[in-house]
Amino acid sequence: MKLLRLMIQARRVDERLIKICRQGRLRGSAFAGIGQEAISAAVAVASQPDDLFAPCIRNLPLHLGRGETPLGVFRQALGRAKSPTGGRDGNVHYGRLDHGVYTMISHLGSMISVVAGGVMAKRRQGKDTVGVAFVGDGATSTGDFHEALNFAAVFDIPLLVIIENNHYAYSTPTSHQYRCHRLADRAVGYGIDGYSADGNNPAEIYITVRDILNDIRANPRPALLEADTMRMRGHGEHDDFKYVPETLLQVYRRRDPIRMGIRGMQAAKLITDDQIEAMELEIADEIDRSARQALSEEEPLADTLTQGVYRDA
Amino acid sequence: MREITYLQGIQEGLREVLKTDPTSVIYGQDVGAFGGAFKVTEGLQAEFGEARVFDTPISESAMLGAAIGMATQGMRPIVEMQFADFITTAMHQLLNNAGTRHYRTGDAVPMVVRVPSGGGTGGGPFHSEELETYFCHMPGVKVVYPAFPSDARSLLLSAAQDPNPVVFMENKTLYRSVKERVGDDLTALPLGKASVRHEGDDAVVITYGAMVHEALRAVSELHVTEGYEVMVVDLRSLKPYDLDTILAATAATSRVLVVSEGWRTCGYAAEIATAINESAFHLLDAPVHRLTAPDVPVPFAKSLEDRYRPAAADIVKALRDLIEL
Ligand SMILES: Cc1ncc(C[n+]2csc(CCOP(=O)(O)OP(=O)(O)O)c2C)c(N)n1
Ligand SMILES: [Mg+2]
Repeated sequence: MKLLRLMIQARRVDERLIKICRQGRLRGSAFAGIGQEAISAAVAVASQPDDLFAPCIRNLPLHLGRGETPLGVFRQALGRAKSPTGGRDGNVHYGRLDHGVYTMISHLGSMISVVAGGVMAKRRQGKDTVGVAFVGDGATSTGDFHEALNFAAVFDIPLLVIIENNHYAYSTPTSHQYRCHRLADRAVGYGIDGYSADGNNPAEIYITVRDILNDIRANPRPALLEADTMRMRGHGEHDDFKYVPETLLQVYRRRDPIRMGIRGMQAAKLITDDQIEAMELEIADEIDRSARQALSEEEPLADTLTQGVYRDA
Repeated sequence: MREITYLQGIQEGLREVLKTDPTSVIYGQDVGAFGGAFKVTEGLQAEFGEARVFDTPISESAMLGAAIGMATQGMRPIVEMQFADFITTAMHQLLNNAGTRHYRTGDAVPMVVRVPSGGGTGGGPFHSEELETYFCHMPGVKVVYPAFPSDARSLLLSAAQDPNPVVFMENKTLYRSVKERVGDDLTALPLGKASVRHEGDDAVVITYGAMVHEALRAVSELHVTEGYEVMVVDLRSLKPYDLDTILAATAATSRVLVVSEGWRTCGYAAEIATAINESAFHLLDAPVHRLTAPDVPVPFAKSLEDRYRPAAADIVKALRDLIEL
């Protein structure tokens, strides 16, 4: 139920962001994770308070599941003074360390080693922390992906690296990204375990993630999980993604994670139509209030431009 | 008082940090049992254990990324680059990941990156680079560059007490060649404070790192040959830098030569020259001069490297030109 709620909440926030973007009220573009919600939602639900995360572009449910609010997300996208980064960064570059969530930088692959180091520190402090870093299929081609996985393997750092394989890196299909059969097989090269799962099936991905996290929490070492999914919109809203064949989208439309989640829960009689409707209404209400509030708020004062580059000693 | 080398100064600083700050760790390539390519960390693993001083894979980016992760979770990582040159494979971790973090998130990133720098050793193009300009250009990053053993020791302590990413540059030619008598008093030196190494009023050489010693040789030669009295300012901290001392030296001498082992175009010397022009143009009797390495890769052959790298004789000549202008 919690997982389903996170997926729906993230979907509705993304939809609202797309609307705000279309209205021309957002600087830059909106980057949606529509179609990929099950993976991050599963991680959020399976995680413990002391765990650490490096979310990437399409992990809104992780942020929400770790305590970020829709209001914070809207403020961030709009560059408001009260946003998690105070308007100094935008779109998906946010996180709160008190939620265990690192603020990403754009450089793909560069955050994996950051979580690895964070987990090392927490473990030294006696916590049973595990880390989860998210990357796309495209980011697996970076040197940083390799360096960080090898580094984590050498030091037995309990870090799960999840590859959300959504078949495209911007416009580049996986055929131009790598030659291996499955990215999960790369785990062998690092001497760690590799897993594959259906990233659009909430029950399957949840159980997979939960089991891996339990395992590496008890037996510290990294793991690699490749989750199959599909980016159902452009790279960002500026992108018409005409390069994605309609037939492929068709396949994944039928396998929408929210629909799959609802169907599964209905089959197991875990949820009623009334409950779904109530959930949707409650989510819509919060999103509407949050979006309006964020839209009405101020950007940071220009005079604060040069403040806070350094931490005072 | 006892005499220590520059290398020992750094090592004593490292030992003091490990002793006094239980959250500190030292890591890098071959820094553990082996003691590092230059033996700066020799003995530290034996003394403090493998959990505090350890070897990593050859992964500069992961090393710095992990440092950011540790630093933001209550630890104080001190990372050794085997040679300054190799940090270029991890520049994004410093510039984009460490340097922007406090500004964007408010989180402190207390980490030190040690970079053995500079030429004169026949190291060729990839074991000789002097990259301070790159580091100083990064918002959110601080840069120090000691020239003497006592400063190396104290600046290491201050770098390791600073809540920001600090690049600690150390010059390879100074490791064993420079010695100094020091006491056992281990106090941190505030960042951003220069030191006047030699007094004089005919001109001033503003410099840092190995060039401080070349400048000191040059001014004593000029004193003997021509009787000139030339001041030498050792910047010690490159970012932030000590503008007050630079301007006071400019006022006292009216003739300024900036010397840097780094490349010329857009180099660190250009920054100092510009800062003087902006604030003290009216005090100058001559344009600020620069003596730097030329814009060529660091060459291997001794004949080429001797020409490439500024040395005392070049400084003597540059000072004569400046004073007799
Ligand atoms: C090192 C680096 N190179 C290029 C980019 C520009 N870029 C941003 S996202 C992206 C595609 C990412 O694809 P993928 O990793 O598959 O993630 P997805 O967008 O599919 O979720 C590119 C090329 C970047 N952010 N970082
Ligand atoms: Mg992709």
